[in-house]
Amino acid sequence: MSDDGPRGQVGKDSFEARLKSAREKQGLDPKASDPDKRLSAPSAMGVGMRVGVELVSAMVVAVAIGWALDRWLHTSPAFLVVFVLLGFGAGLANLWRVMGPGRMPGAK
Amino acid sequence: MPQLDFGNPLLLAQVVWLGIIFLVLYLLLSRWALPQVGAVLAHRAETIAADLDVARRAKEEADAAVAELTRATREAHAGAQAEIAAAVAAAKAKTDAESADLNAKLDAQIAAAEERIAVARTSALGALEQVAVETAREVVGRLIGSSLDPALVPQAVAGVLAARAK
Amino acid sequence: MAAGEPSIDALGQFKLHTTLGPIGASVNFTQSNLLMVIASGLILALLYYGARPRAIVPGRLQAAAELSYDFIYNMVSEQIGHEGRKFFPFVFTLFFFILFGNLLGLLPFSFTYTSHIAVTAALAILVIVLVTVVALAIHGLHFFSYFWPSGAPIALAPIIVPVEIISYLSRPVSLSIRLFANMVAGHVMFEVFATFMVMMAGAGVIGYAGAIGPLALNVILMGFELLVAGLQAYVFAVLTCIYLHDAVHLH
Repeated sequence: MSDDGPRGQVGKDSFEARLKSAREKQGLDPKASDPDKRLSAPSAMGVGMRVGVELVSAMVVAVAIGWALDRWLHTSPAFLVVFVLLGFGAGLANLWRVMGPGRMPGAK
Repeated sequence: MPQLDFGNPLLLAQVVWLGIIFLVLYLLLSRWALPQVGAVLAHRAETIAADLDVARRAKEEADAAVAELTRATREAHAGAQAEIAAAVAAAKAKTDAESADLNAKLDAQIAAAEERIAVARTSALGALEQVAVETAREVVGRLIGSSLDPALVPQAVAGVLAARAK
Repeated sequence: MAAGEPSIDALGQFKLHTTLGPIGASVNFTQSNLLMVIASGLILALLYYGARPRAIVPGRLQAAAELSYDFIYNMVSEQIGHEGRKFFPFVFTLFFFILFGNLLGLLPFSFTYTSHIAVTAALAILVIVLVTVVALAIHGLHFFSYFWPSGAPIALAPIIVPVEIISYLSRPVSLSIRLFANMVAGHVMFEVFATFMVMMAGAGVIGYAGAIGPLALNVILMGFELLVAGLQAYVFAVLTCIYLHDAVHLH
């Protein structure tokens, strides 16, 4: 009885640890949070691609709206000019939103 | 760029077909395929959860059993110890009583023996006095040749013996 | 394309033509749509054959099906929250439709329907319409406060509101352009390197040695494009989830 004490203790610990980890893996027990689940920092090419896409798409929308308004109101090129400026601003706003502090989802 | 050739009717047709195919795929996935996989996963999660629960319960039971065993062992140990102590005490008491008895008996025997010795001694001493008186009377009669006053010899012997006993 | 002509026709591969003979021609069913059907069939087959064993310890195919299910399920729950479960089948369909389109496009003699801006734009517009409808359904007219960041000075309204509207409308544009541009760039590069290779080989023995360069580049590019195929499908799905999150939670 006295000599199988320590051995029994080790066996109990390892079984307990394995049971606990198994339960955590199944989401049955609250898990110690793992903060390292975010994506790693995007590559330079990904960032460049992203900047380009955001700026271009905002500009596409802005130009389309400006052009349509000009055509409708016969004010060419007043709205186009205004909306190109707004489009640039919107592109920057997009970039701020997706790459600014706080949020950094998928790369590229 | 063929992709920007919006005059091509195939471009529009492609998008129309895209809509049809995407819709059908979505319906098939959401109504049929995904619930199947979801059911398998849910079943697995349930099974594993149940198994883990069983394992945890078994472990708790085992722990309780071990605790019970430890407690029982400790109790048995304590009981045995107490019994041993009681037995030892009882044996000691018995021994004490026996030895006291024996002592008393021995004392009584010693006392009796001493009494007997004393009696024997007094009787021996009495017999000695008598022997001494007779011997003295005989010796004196032989020496003197005539009988003496019979009361005188015992008196003298008693006087001598008393003096000797002092 | 044609080996005989020493010219680079990098864009001919994107040309649509009808397929399935006269039946396809009569309903304008293109090879792009055929690839869509094949992709859909593969997705359904993966899930069907994956889920069929119903084993507790999954085999390889079942593990793949379950992994894909879990992957999108976790993405949806992480990005949108528990309200996002409703959108799980949609995001799943979107992700795997794009992923299989990208991957099938890498096979020889195949066609990449995600390299068509009309297709990516249709998918992106579908996403943004869904997002807007969801936002309107949940928040009603309060949705329009989305275009007015709280705490901004009222004098800036004429600038901020159009900027926010443009920014909102640019979402489908950026979604579609990103996917389209990535796929087109990859396939144009394949075509260019492959044509170089053919032209080199046409130049005799020295040319054969020289053709190894573009060939090696194409092999490396193939690995890179496999990565891009997965990444772009992932980005499309994640951005969809983020937009849905915004629609559900509004700020």
